[in-house]
Amino acid sequence: MDDLRHDPDYTLFRPILEKDRRFLWMVSVLVGLIGWSIYMYMRQWKYGLSVTGLNNNVTWGFYIINFVFFIGVSHAGTLISAILRLSQAEWRRPITRMAEVITAIVLMIGGIHPIIDLGRPDRLMNVFYYGRLQSPLLWDVTAITTYFTASTVYLYVPMIPDIALLRDRTTKFRWLYKFLSWGYRGTERQKHILERAMSILMVLVIPVAVSVHTVISYIFSMTLQSGWHSTIFGPYFVTGAIYSGTATLLVVMIAFRKMYHLENYLKEIHFRYMSILLLVFSLLWTYFTFSEFLTGVYGNEPMEMMVIRFKLTGAYAPYFWSMVTLNFLIPLIVLTNKKLKTIKGILITSIGVIIGMWLERLIIIVPSLTNTRLPLVVQTYIPSLTEWSLFIGGISIFCLMFLIFSKVFPLISIWEIKDGRAEGLEEAKGRLESYLPDQTLAEGRVQ
Amino acid sequence: MTKHEKVTPQIVLFLQIMSISLIWVLVVSVIWWVLNLISLSNYLHDAQNATLAISILIMPLFILLAGILTYVFVGLRRNRFEDDEHA
Amino acid sequence: MTKWGMVIDLNKCTGCGACVNACRIENNIPNVGPEAAHNGRSMDWMQIVTEYDGEYPDIRITHIPLLCFQCDNAPCTKVCPVHATYQNSDGLVGQVYYRCIGCRFCMAACPYSAKKFNYAEPDVPEEYENHLNPDVTRRMKGVVEKCSFCHHRLAHAKDLARYEDRDLRESDFQPACVESCPADAMVFGDLENPDHTVHDLKDSSRVFRLEEELGTEPKVYYLKKEDK
Repeated sequence: MDDLRHDPDYTLFRPILEKDRRFLWMVSVLVGLIGWSIYMYMRQWKYGLSVTGLNNNVTWGFYIINFVFFIGVSHAGTLISAILRLSQAEWRRPITRMAEVITAIVLMIGGIHPIIDLGRPDRLMNVFYYGRLQSPLLWDVTAITTYFTASTVYLYVPMIPDIALLRDRTTKFRWLYKFLSWGYRGTERQKHILERAMSILMVLVIPVAVSVHTVISYIFSMTLQSGWHSTIFGPYFVTGAIYSGTATLLVVMIAFRKMYHLENYLKEIHFRYMSILLLVFSLLWTYFTFSEFLTGVYGNEPMEMMVIRFKLTGAYAPYFWSMVTLNFLIPLIVLTNKKLKTIKGILITSIGVIIGMWLERLIIIVPSLTNTRLPLVVQTYIPSLTEWSLFIGGISIFCLMFLIFSKVFPLISIWEIKDGRAEGLEEAKGRLESYLPDQTLAEGRVQ
Repeated sequence: MTKHEKVTPQIVLFLQIMSISLIWVLVVSVIWWVLNLISLSNYLHDAQNATLAISILIMPLFILLAGILTYVFVGLRRNRFEDDEHA
Repeated sequence: MTKWGMVIDLNKCTGCGACVNACRIENNIPNVGPEAAHNGRSMDWMQIVTEYDGEYPDIRITHIPLLCFQCDNAPCTKVCPVHATYQNSDGLVGQVYYRCIGCRFCMAACPYSAKKFNYAEPDVPEEYENHLNPDVTRRMKGVVEKCSFCHHRLAHAKDLARYEDRDLRESDFQPACVESCPADAMVFGDLENPDHTVHDLKDSSRVFRLEEELGTEPKVYYLKKEDK
């Protein structure tokens, strides 16, 4: 126990070892919020969906918006960490774990949302008894199950060395760590097994992640509704998902950096690199949005135009233009300006992006349902207290699970940091040398 | 230190075996479910080819995932602490 | 193979709403009350949309009765995850209330907004209990429902024809809305049977279908309103 205090990475163990009054306080608030949302859901179970603000035309509202939004946020993790690991970006080391945790937790929350949205949740098993793989909803069920399994495995496997470390050096939860570490002790053979599994998972997880959000976009684009029936939706949703995920990851990084004093691990440089990623996705997202609307406006198909006008100048114009501001203008201004690109600036931008991406989901889903093809009188959709409560409940579950995770497992991969110190430096040097033109060959040509 | 522990290596081993079997139960149930859907779509003549195409994608994925986990678990346990066993 | 369909003559339709009421009574459609109706949760399987053309005082009014068009290529049956909405052997789009999980995907997919969702448990006053139509299933909260072309009447008509050992006649099977239309604006029958009125009507020069370009092949035809 005592030697741990002299460990250079003691800061990373601290949240697990030390009691924290703030932790209990936050947990009780979050549990209260979750309890409230569970109560609201029980009410919905009893009275049916009449407690929501939905009607016979706008049949999908907050639940489906949040479903798309949460699943989108879940792309932060696994995708970013897999891409960074694959491209051997050395600065990934303190980031990957947090990204993967976000994925696993948010995916679970997102996956619950379609069930909340069901009119007859008691008949959920019908999907298993009488399911039709032809329905895009079933594609979702299968894709999300696959992605959840894959990303949990991808979170867990690189965590095994850390769990072994905790098992050997701490006394809390020893049985749990013993169970989860499978007797890992860092032999060559064991390291080899882990590396092999990780490299397969990295490659596997990327197409699965891309397919998940593509399939979610198919729920909309497979219908004939104006504003939804579009081929751009797959890549558009995936880009938006990674975009909102990157922003969430940044917010989480900044929050836990402050809470657990990780300034020494999450340095400015990490935020700078991540913010470049954020800017790239901001521009990509803008490009897709622009293409989507330009083709619609130029084609001038009456039904399509009705929806577009509703978004650009109609009832949803405030949401639309604040989305453009939050997702395009603010990131562009803040992230390209050295003076504004401080951690505070990045935090504000990222929160803005999260809100903006939520608005995007709202703008995609509701206007197409409000503007029916036949000239019907459609009531505007105003979300009820139940829907708001369940939304806040979802966010609370995310915060609570993240906090609990941070108290049981290290939020920053300790072995990867140690590895980086021990081997990464040499390895990166060697790799860099291998990129450069070979000196002896160059000399040979001169002679 | 180990004397105070209530959780014996046997319980840990039991939990570990349980978790591996649970993963395979999940995989087998997913496959069983998909096969059920195929037979249903065949019975109702309802989009058999789409059903087949999607199920061909799903089943190997789950088998691969469970395979990786089993490979990791079994591989790690084979090289575990020797004294852990006798503790 | 029969192909049940309807032709609605917009020249004749007065927008009286008899069809809507007949449908309500025939199909045990619950009264949701003024508040829910105002919130857009009315359960009527039929509705009449009125279109106004021109400036006052030269206004041309067209009433368009809307119901489920029982599309041959129905977008709603494609997306149902549990086989709850499907095309049955009579070519009608059926809805299995006891299997529906209430995901409302079919409602989002229907370009005609023909489907209704039971947001709350249907409220049937006790004195109405004895006046419900025993042939039509009562729906429960949380499921989707829609016009069935009075499919229960078809079952009766088929039984009768089999009993009398003859083919189905046009008069055997008429939905409640068609039967109740005082202006004879609605005609119902087998679109592919030359003996039925609809067979010739659907080839009229005035005929059109709503959103035909979507390729959904609706089986409800309209005869365009013409100025006289």
